[in-house]
Amino acid sequence: MTPPNLQALRDGDAAEWDVAFRWLWPAAFGAAQAVLQPYLPAEVEDVAIESLEELVGEVKRLSTAEEMRPLLAKIARNRAVSRLRELYAAKRGAGQTESYEAKQEAGGDLPEAIAPDDPVGALEHKELAERLGRLLAELKPPQGEMLADYFLRGLTYEEIAKKHTVALGTVGVYLKRGLAAMRRVWGRGGKDV
Amino acid sequence: MNDQEFFDLALRVIGRRASDAEREQLEVLLASRRDLKAQFEEIRDDARLAKKVLPLMEAVGSSSGEFPAYARERLLTKVRQTLGQPQPAWTKRGWNWRWALGLAVGAAAVVLLLLPMLTQPGEPIIQVAMLDTAGPVRGEDSDLDALKAQWKHSEVRTFDTAGQLDTWRTNWPSGAKVAAKVIYDRAPGEVRVILHGPGNPLEKTFPVGQDLAATLRQAADFIREQTRR
Repeated sequence: MTPPNLQALRDGDAAEWDVAFRWLWPAAFGAAQAVLQPYLPAEVEDVAIESLEELVGEVKRLSTAEEMRPLLAKIARNRAVSRLRELYAAKRGAGQTESYEAKQEAGGDLPEAIAPDDPVGALEHKELAERLGRLLAELKPPQGEMLADYFLRGLTYEEIAKKHTVALGTVGVYLKRGLAAMRRVWGRGGKDV
Repeated sequence: MNDQEFFDLALRVIGRRASDAEREQLEVLLASRRDLKAQFEEIRDDARLAKKVLPLMEAVGSSSGEFPAYARERLLTKVRQTLGQPQPAWTKRGWNWRWALGLAVGAAAVVLLLLPMLTQPGEPIIQVAMLDTAGPVRGEDSDLDALKAQWKHSEVRTFDTAGQLDTWRTNWPSGAKVAAKVIYDRAPGEVRVILHGPGNPLEKTFPVGQDLAATLRQAADFIREQTRR
């Protein structure tokens, strides 16, 4: 599916927005789902729709249609994080008085997504789009897919080796190279942000 | 233990996929070697970064998931509220459309002024009439239909007296450069064509044989031929 016409979107062309919503939806939904699925799965769709609404207001400051998906993903992620923080704030109000930081340091069940230092949320959308593009170029297949399998889908080395039909001993090599590529683009731990 | 083996061990512990023995092994290593502790910190930072960046990377590249139809109207309402109603394409051109419109009007005016000077007599105005002195009581409409079929864009008048027909025949449309009158005189069975143009009036009579339609076609050809000159 090709990106929509940005000028038509800026002009409020409903037909073009119809196309855009379908093209953008997976990015909004995916980003919200990554944060909320384990804690608030029922909120994922709502957050994705709210994010699309917010994107409508941002469309005039975009330079290219290709910037839309990274920006939307960032909006959806930030909204999902806020929703999650509200949940934890409500819990804290109900007697759980630890701060996020204290809870994280204590190794509690605080979601990593709502940790205070946020290398993704701190980036401007153009910079974010540019870095994601660079990262996709840096990650040689199947490094990206294996990183996602390990860090997002929780697969073991053995499961990854089986899925990608590679020797067990090479899984760690792919993951190590993948993380190194990520560090080249984002800096250590996202410190270049 | 080489670099890769240490990386794998550290990642298993960070990813909470290590056995108790592996965790203990790592603790011993980190306690005894400061360089490995720094390396471990680096891997942990990278893992944290990966957990934040990878979901976005996956989301941006994702093409799965169906846009829910119920959200469409809500979002289009937002579009209308935020960006307003779309304007027709011609209004987006600013002042250009006004220039274009002005030029078009000017060109049209020039064409209208020059047209009579530049063109030959074009399609003539054709007026059609039928003289039926016996009156319409005979109820024969086929002749009238034939006249209407031949000159679809002309009104076909019917007269039952020669006087009425004469009045009509001498009354030419004003402003017309070329005009033709076609008179079907039913009693003698003839079709008269009178041409009115810049030169002398021209008249020709076509006797109607068995086929009125064929005679009307001849008359039409005559008009066409004469007005083409």
